[in-house]
Amino acid sequence: MTTPVVEAINLAEKFPGKVTADARPGYSGWIISKENLVEVATFIRDEMGYDALTNLCAIDYLEQKMMEVTYQVFKTTGGPVLTFKAQAERVDPIEIPSVVSVWPGAELQEREAYDLYGIRFVGHPDLRRILMWEGFDGYPMRRDWKEAFYEEDAKPLKSRWPEGKHKLAETRATFGDNVAFKPGFDPDKWIPSDPEELLYATLKNYKSEVKDGIKTDHVVVNMGPQHPSTHGVFRAVAVLDGEIVVSIKPVMGYLHRNHEKIGERNTWLQNIPYTDRLDYFNSMYNAWSYALAVEKMMGITVPERAEYIRVIMGELSRIQNHLILFGMLWNDLGSYFTPALYAFEERELILDIFEAVSGSRMMCNYYRFGGVVRDIDEASMKKIKELVFDRLPGKIEEIDRLLSENEIFVSRMKGVGYLSPEDSIAYSVTGPNLRAAGVPYDIRRADPYGIYDRFEFDIPVRHNSDLLDRYHLRMDEIHQSLRILQQALKQITEGPVLAGKPQYTHRVPVGEAYGRVEAPKGELGYYVVSNGKGNPYRYHIRTPSFVNITSMEKMCVGTKIADFVAILGMVDIVLGELDR
Amino acid sequence: MNFWTDPIKLAFDGLMGLFSSWGMAADAAAVVINLLGIVGLISAVMVLDILLVWVERKVVARFQDRLGPNRVGPWGILQPFPDIIKLILKEDITPAGADKVAFNLAPILSLGSVLFLWAVVPLAATIYGVDLNVGLLYLVAAGAVGTLSIIMAGWSSNNKYALVGAYRMVANMISYEIPMVVALLIPTMLAGTMSIKGISDFQLEHGLFFFLTPLGALLFLISAIAELGRSPFDLNEGESEIVAGFHIEYSGMKFGLFYAGELLHAFTFGAFVGVLFFGGYAFPLPWGATNAFVAVFNVLFKGMVFYWVIMWVKYTVPRIRIDHMLAFNWKFLVPVSFTLLMVTAIFHSLLKDTGFWPYTLGMFLVNLIFGWLLLEMLRSRGRAEREQAEAPSTAAQAAHH
Repeated sequence: MTTPVVEAINLAEKFPGKVTADARPGYSGWIISKENLVEVATFIRDEMGYDALTNLCAIDYLEQKMMEVTYQVFKTTGGPVLTFKAQAERVDPIEIPSVVSVWPGAELQEREAYDLYGIRFVGHPDLRRILMWEGFDGYPMRRDWKEAFYEEDAKPLKSRWPEGKHKLAETRATFGDNVAFKPGFDPDKWIPSDPEELLYATLKNYKSEVKDGIKTDHVVVNMGPQHPSTHGVFRAVAVLDGEIVVSIKPVMGYLHRNHEKIGERNTWLQNIPYTDRLDYFNSMYNAWSYALAVEKMMGITVPERAEYIRVIMGELSRIQNHLILFGMLWNDLGSYFTPALYAFEERELILDIFEAVSGSRMMCNYYRFGGVVRDIDEASMKKIKELVFDRLPGKIEEIDRLLSENEIFVSRMKGVGYLSPEDSIAYSVTGPNLRAAGVPYDIRRADPYGIYDRFEFDIPVRHNSDLLDRYHLRMDEIHQSLRILQQALKQITEGPVLAGKPQYTHRVPVGEAYGRVEAPKGELGYYVVSNGKGNPYRYHIRTPSFVNITSMEKMCVGTKIADFVAILGMVDIVLGELDR
Repeated sequence: MNFWTDPIKLAFDGLMGLFSSWGMAADAAAVVINLLGIVGLISAVMVLDILLVWVERKVVARFQDRLGPNRVGPWGILQPFPDIIKLILKEDITPAGADKVAFNLAPILSLGSVLFLWAVVPLAATIYGVDLNVGLLYLVAAGAVGTLSIIMAGWSSNNKYALVGAYRMVANMISYEIPMVVALLIPTMLAGTMSIKGISDFQLEHGLFFFLTPLGALLFLISAIAELGRSPFDLNEGESEIVAGFHIEYSGMKFGLFYAGELLHAFTFGAFVGVLFFGGYAFPLPWGATNAFVAVFNVLFKGMVFYWVIMWVKYTVPRIRIDHMLAFNWKFLVPVSFTLLMVTAIFHSLLKDTGFWPYTLGMFLVNLIFGWLLLEMLRSRGRAEREQAEAPSTAAQAAHH
């Protein structure tokens, strides 16, 4: 449905010898020779109009002795993504030109590919490890890299069920079973050779100067990893001149668990509960994108009722996500939990519904390939209707009045954290923050999935691109979500909720697919590759938090340190999906 | 002279008789009895402080749709005691790089500065620590000791967050003491004395100062909140930005002292609003003028009411940003306070001989008109600023089309 279609411009004809069509069965897009990557990428951006890069990830084809980097780009005027690839021989050092000069939004994603696959992106301004720690040896996402306590390539692991009895591998293996470090490296004794250098290497603007005869120094302040306003264990190293931010760099990876490697070991179905742990506020929305990608490869059609249930759960999830954002934003602004608890009251009611249909309030594990796991019963349906038709519209209005008419709130938000629409697109910002910059891009309309093309709703847009507009835009989105919900609840029909029979193992044909949805925080995409076995060959997640954080420095420089907290709050990161 | 009007005198005489019978010299006995009185006052205030912990938690819970503490004792009223036990049992840490003397002195000074204040609170016509003839000056000076303790804590902690908190406190203190002092000049001028007891007594005969200068009372309340470092002016603490600001390195009972100091400070300033602008110990129950126990109730009741107002503000609004805070003070509060002082002075001298009703109503009306003019000026200024801010963008849009 949304598989990249053949473009009007045939790149292979336009660049003979430089670009070839990807002819592998199940694959699509273009393969660009790495020497000409930047040239062709510039053409794709400037002539073909693909102005935003959404996904960049590496794949290790061990048997073919090849490293591949896949790029997904889209037009902010709408339409499906265009996929192109660059390949390199799998001999270290693996080098591929960086596309940061074309799409600045590739910065963090290229660092991630370097960190996990060891691909050197030539021309990248700041190629360092990002998720793994500085002293780490090896590239953990390569197919031949074995994690600690490694047993087999794919689950289910035989050792867990000796004669049908459950036993955890960790209880047997002693620490250090197959943990590899650099030669002569002892993790217990390691200290960075120059800690300041390692921690603040990127803060080149640090300086001390003599002003009016007084020597003034900048202060380096670590916001995080233990900090109440970084929403988890995110760290931002800030250089301050008094209260003013001179430069700020994100440091992440404290919650990194190599989700993608786990995903490659899991069977296709086993990954669904794992997706809940990415953005743990929106577990209902996370699996949707993954299911979409796998359904695309398997060619399943989702039953009518299941499509409606997916929309209902997805939009409820969006409402409660924005409510949490408002509450937590007010906490960040220093109002001691009062608005947060008001917002939580409504959220609790939505979570009650999630609990009723899926059995869990936050880790829902509800979507399946070809539908959802169980039907909504009558009582829950009645609850949803009461909530959507009677309670939420008034309550949202009330919360909006409470928050947006506060003078201090407006003075803190207005004109702060400006990011121009051009920069927003260049830095691959997606979701509410892009729309608050005046770019009406919403995947539900631009590249529709599910049954969103049936509903009547607007894509709210604001134009000032400051914090206040980002707040108002999310409030507008809640109202639109309610509109969608009201239509969906009226249209929903009886019927099955899962295509075919429920099953544990799935046969996924060889190929690749990229599924993308408009998650509450921005574009959530899953790039999956199957080699026909019971496990994904590659399972990559393009998370909105990770990509949106690229533009943070641009927004923060020159503002006060107190604004940084609000800006970060409005980027709406969640560490589960930032660190993966 | 009986138990109801002057229990202190009664106790003093009784103890004096007792000590004399033990053969103690009268001077020495007076010193001992005064010391006992100080200990008694401090103990009473500290017991009140323990109650405040419960009040704060319970009231906040109600603001936030919660129940609050409800397990220990009826309505959870004994909750502060487990809290205190927990704080005492915690490890007492002094960071390695800290300036030990300043670091350990700061929490004591913080609570001490509040206790100093209670020396001049007239709890009743006959119950007060001391009737200083420069009482208001003493109030400001003792408040500055509390600020000093915060700067000491921030500076000595050897922590960047604490240091940023201390910087902010310096900016805060220098700024907000000015409108506060000017706001205090208004009751001084009206009563013709700087003695807090004098101001309190003056209102017995001439009516509440709130009706003579409602704006002055508001000004004092705002600058008191700023002086306290309570939300929206809690920049020195700034939980979401600089984690806990000046007290980030404090643990156990040292943190507890800061916490207790903050609560008591807020309550004390609430009590001062009551004493200076709402008729001291004889309002709302008029028997307070003759009955010491009713008087104490009056003072504590009004303290609690204004403490509630301060809490209400704290748990409703977000934190103001530092440049906004300084702009608000220097560009608004300072000029307003000086203008208000002049206006009050002029109309006070014009109207004071016209009798009770014309004087009170006139002063109230003057304040109302002054406030209305102020709001109108702010509105027109805001409108002009908005138009100025919007003008270039419309011009740019026109050029664009």
